[in-house]
Amino acid sequence: MALVYECAWRVLHALLHIQRTLVSWFRTRIWNVNWRFWKRALATLFFPVTLGLHNHIHRTLKMGKPTIKRGYRRFAWGLDPGSLEKLPQHVGFLIAEEEPSYKDIANLIVWCMAVGITCVSVYDNQGVFRRNHAKLSDKILKQQQELLGLDSSKYTVTFLNSSNEKPNHQVLSCQMEVRVLSADDGRLGIARAAEQLCRAVELREKSSMDIDVSTLDSMLRDSQKHIPDPDLVLGFGPVRSTLGFLPWHIHLTEFISLPSHIEISYEDFYGALQRYATCEQRQGK
Amino acid sequence: MSWIREGELSLIERLSANILKAGPMPKHVAFIMDGNRRYARKRQVERQEGHTQGFDKLAETLRWCLNLDIREVTVYAFSIENFKRSKEEVDGLMELAKQKFSRLLEEQENLEKHGVCIRVLGDLMLLPLDLQQVIAKAVVSTRKHNKCFLNVCFAYTSRHEITNAVKEMAWGVEEGLIKSSDVSEALLSKCLYSSSSPDPDLLIRTSGEVRLSDFLLWQTSYSCLVFQSVLWPEYSFWNLCEAILQYQLNYLPLQKAKDLHKEQQALQQLEADRRCVAELLMHHGSGNGKPTDAQSRQEHLLSYVAEREERVQGFLGALQHRRDRYFTDLAALTALA
Repeated sequence: MALVYECAWRVLHALLHIQRTLVSWFRTRIWNVNWRFWKRALATLFFPVTLGLHNHIHRTLKMGKPTIKRGYRRFAWGLDPGSLEKLPQHVGFLIAEEEPSYKDIANLIVWCMAVGITCVSVYDNQGVFRRNHAKLSDKILKQQQELLGLDSSKYTVTFLNSSNEKPNHQVLSCQMEVRVLSADDGRLGIARAAEQLCRAVELREKSSMDIDVSTLDSMLRDSQKHIPDPDLVLGFGPVRSTLGFLPWHIHLTEFISLPSHIEISYEDFYGALQRYATCEQRQGK
Repeated sequence: MSWIREGELSLIERLSANILKAGPMPKHVAFIMDGNRRYARKRQVERQEGHTQGFDKLAETLRWCLNLDIREVTVYAFSIENFKRSKEEVDGLMELAKQKFSRLLEEQENLEKHGVCIRVLGDLMLLPLDLQQVIAKAVVSTRKHNKCFLNVCFAYTSRHEITNAVKEMAWGVEEGLIKSSDVSEALLSKCLYSSSSPDPDLLIRTSGEVRLSDFLLWQTSYSCLVFQSVLWPEYSFWNLCEAILQYQLNYLPLQKAKDLHKEQQALQQLEADRRCVAELLMHHGSGNGKPTDAQSRQEHLLSYVAEREERVQGFLGALQHRRDRYFTDLAALTALA
């Protein structure tokens, strides 16, 4: 009998895997098809005669600029961040996929910048981004220029790799901070703060009775450069877990999962922001 | 309504349970039972009725877990933040809790039969004394049971729990039981209220909210999180199966992440030990001025690790004793009253 159950379980999981693959396949397909369909529809609507030239028409029609910036073009599609009820201040990207695409992450960061999010954390539990932070920071600059064009000079990015690092230029001109986090900032960060407090107790500078939630919170906030707790974490990939993302700081964070960050579109990102805007926090009440 | 519900699954439920059980099953499941008030509003019944039905659903869910061989369940019953609610609602919830824990005491036989151990995690001092006493009695009377475990988080937030663990370690340092250099991630885990449980494999939150609301932040770092839109009093066996399926789909990558984390933790411990040994040698070695060779260094390291482990064990023993005493004393107070 156990064998029959095991077979049934295997069949069930095989079906689920097939369903998953199909869904993600369709997601990318439908997006592409949709995109082509809309281009054609708009072209037909406005310039019915020049149907064959829809690419050129679309360029002049939507952007008013001779070049289409991939990704940024979608700002023009009525997905205006101003229409959102609330916007997160600090967004975390939790990448739980084997092969990270630096370009897509850079795109996401530039979109955040453009909608007015002031702080972004990029996290993976294996420390891939921490090791390759230079690559990511280069990509951000590149995408910033490509997507925002001339506007990009208005935005300054401060890039922090580890929590002990000082910002490399003055924060005054900065509109956005990007941090790269790894598992070391999580539980280990709390344990380090605890060790520091215990050392103060050992040296008789503090008593154990002095320790409360706000002591620990302010210590951990210091180690995170006084950046507010993340309001929203976007988890990319099939894994449904925080994978050790700043356990102390996520007490009120909303988690939204997206299937993958690879080839992510502005619509998907905007959809997640929209979902965040509808989340209501009752703060225990 | 009692805590333990007798009864079996229907044929189709049993069949599905057996199929699920052919795969990896979570050993410990945590629930954020959200949506009682929305349920009451939807059904146009009193708010308190929503909470009562929520409790009944917990009893039912515990039975499903037992049928599915899930031996440990942790539930978020009342957050410290919930004290901000209206006095009427807080009083109602305290009364409900008192009633249910008293009821639990009447069910001793049943609890013994199933070997249910009840633990209450949280800052009990924040509760009315009579409720504290009933809780202590329930905890003490089921302490020896070891077949299944129900952890009720009451007057709990994870930040408080972590802070409390830091305080306990600071107490250990004050008492001279441990050194500040013994503080580590592993030690902190063992000072949490949940020290006797493994980390939950699966966390389920109902009613469509997608945050942790200060619940088990530390312990769920590598757990599978499942957010379901159903309101808690409407939770069904099939919802639970769906969550377990999600867990099974996430099983391998999560296992990998956990293993990686364990490796990193071991490395950090080794590094910390080496640092301490180097410091010690600096202190003692400065007298004779001889450089130490690799072999004696290794010996020093081994003996240091043994000493540290002994210190930590002694401290954890003292901590456990102190916690047990707290509950025993509280329960004894009731006997006198």
